[in-house]
Amino acid sequence: MIFKVVLIGCSADIVAQAEELNGFISENLGRGDHGCGTILFCSKKQDKNALLDLVPTESVKLVTVAGYRPETILEALKIVENMEETHLYLFPGGYAGSELAVRWAFRAKGSSLVQVNQIEYTENQLIAKKKVYSDYVMGVFRLKKKPYCIAPARGSASSLPVRVKQPLTVTEHDMTHLYRDRFVESYKWTPGEKTGNLEKAKFILIGGRGMNNAESAEKLKKIANSLGAAFGVSRPAAMNAWSTMDKIVGVSGAVTKPDVCIVAGASGAAAFYVGIEKSKFIVAINKDPRAPIIKSSDVAIIDDYKAVMDELVKLISAQK
Amino acid sequence: MNILVCFTVIPELEMMLGEDWFVDENLQIDVGFLKHSLNCYDESALEIALKFSDAARKRHVSPNLTALTIAGPEANPILKTLNALRFNRVVRINNHEDIRFNSMAIASMLHQYVSNRMPQDVLLMGWQSGVGENAKTPLLVAEMLGWPCITQVTEIEPVDSHHLVVTCQVDDGQLQQTIQIPCVLSIGNAPNSYMRIPTLKDRMQFGRRTAEVLDANDFEPFDEGIELVSLDVINRQRSAILIEGATPEEKAGKLYKSFLAKRLNKL
Repeated sequence: MIFKVVLIGCSADIVAQAEELNGFISENLGRGDHGCGTILFCSKKQDKNALLDLVPTESVKLVTVAGYRPETILEALKIVENMEETHLYLFPGGYAGSELAVRWAFRAKGSSLVQVNQIEYTENQLIAKKKVYSDYVMGVFRLKKKPYCIAPARGSASSLPVRVKQPLTVTEHDMTHLYRDRFVESYKWTPGEKTGNLEKAKFILIGGRGMNNAESAEKLKKIANSLGAAFGVSRPAAMNAWSTMDKIVGVSGAVTKPDVCIVAGASGAAAFYVGIEKSKFIVAINKDPRAPIIKSSDVAIIDDYKAVMDELVKLISAQK
Repeated sequence: MNILVCFTVIPELEMMLGEDWFVDENLQIDVGFLKHSLNCYDESALEIALKFSDAARKRHVSPNLTALTIAGPEANPILKTLNALRFNRVVRINNHEDIRFNSMAIASMLHQYVSNRMPQDVLLMGWQSGVGENAKTPLLVAEMLGWPCITQVTEIEPVDSHHLVVTCQVDDGQLQQTIQIPCVLSIGNAPNSYMRIPTLKDRMQFGRRTAEVLDANDFEPFDEGIELVSLDVINRQRSAILIEGATPEEKAGKLYKSFLAKRLNKL
């Protein structure tokens, strides 16, 4: 089986992309019986040696493009790739990688699946597992058309830095002349705080719909800061503009893995729980004893989270 | 400017209790007893289209809004609401096939609707639905139409009858682009985009209009190349030790002493 890894080097999250895909390969494929390579997209200004340190395979096609535009990347892929010889393409798990996986599969007449948790390759098919039904159910799918284009679910594999530096075979391709997104007349990029802080935090405090308003959300955020915890919210809380979108925890936000996670006033719908299920210890505080988060926690308190948190702040501060 | 908003009506799965989750021999889960509501990202798409329409009228651009779903009669109450919200056209493609995990079939029907029946300039839809979680349909429609696609869109503003300003989230920040139409816009986490409620007057005046109903059998099928093998309900139960106490303060004290103090000290 021949598989290729696609990395978008011109994106600021390239290290996370490379480490997640390296972990995914290690847990799902290994490198033993497979032929593999990486297609690494970068821009002219970037430090290419630093990018090459992130490559998880022994060979790489280093493709220089004018900048990250999906149309440009897809066009360049078509030029540098012989899609008939590749069985599997692995794309990064973020928005960009998922988009490219689906569109590349369509153009290559293959099949795609995104937000994938696990894959297994057998002779003439790829079996892939992914969550469906708002993350309450694990679906197992058989992909029948090669090339199979997969983008893993974020957090589905451990982040694994590329530690062993192999001698790399590098082929360079200059695709800076491609510029297909002519429908864009102007654009302005603003760097975001993104979810990185939440995803790396050891201690997290999360508020849900039970916060009821923006003032309560702000107060809970201050409590999180005073305790040294990262602050997150469920999607409904962010949709009500009680907090910014970069604080969302769950399938459409951060996927966290803290040592301690306190969930205050969130019911624990599966799409939210996906964002905390790798926590070592979950505390749920909720007035509703039937809220799903109660059964999915290690320890639970059925009560108003505000009074409980006020007391916890006193206890934790006294120990500092 | 013709704008098509594609939406899905889904069962409220969070109301399912543990024992309700049962996968039968045909890989179906009975959700017929649940209330159905708008898929959350599609709800944002519909409200974004309405906001855009309000703003466009101030610039003397009058967008023509169509709302379309591929569903059975369970979508009818939502169609009435959309009529009352004054979508110019409300369409249901009547479908009885299992398309939960067949984005190609969905995208192909949308493509055929736009290409053969009702030309459009902009397509809006949520990036994924709560049942299939395929996260592919907007991208595949764009590919089939040969149009560009912008993903994780949070806001659109009118410029003139051929241009839009589109704000979207990207993996490393936020992008605001002025674009030419046509295009497909895939809606992500858009703040303040719960769909508005129609007035009683509009409900009486417009809500009774009939939705256009088409038959899915009149559209060419499209093979996804993916087959569902099994569905397994995920068990997320943990020990769920309940901390008892007379007051919240007492419960907090027990939580801290017995469970948190040592763990937090180690961090």
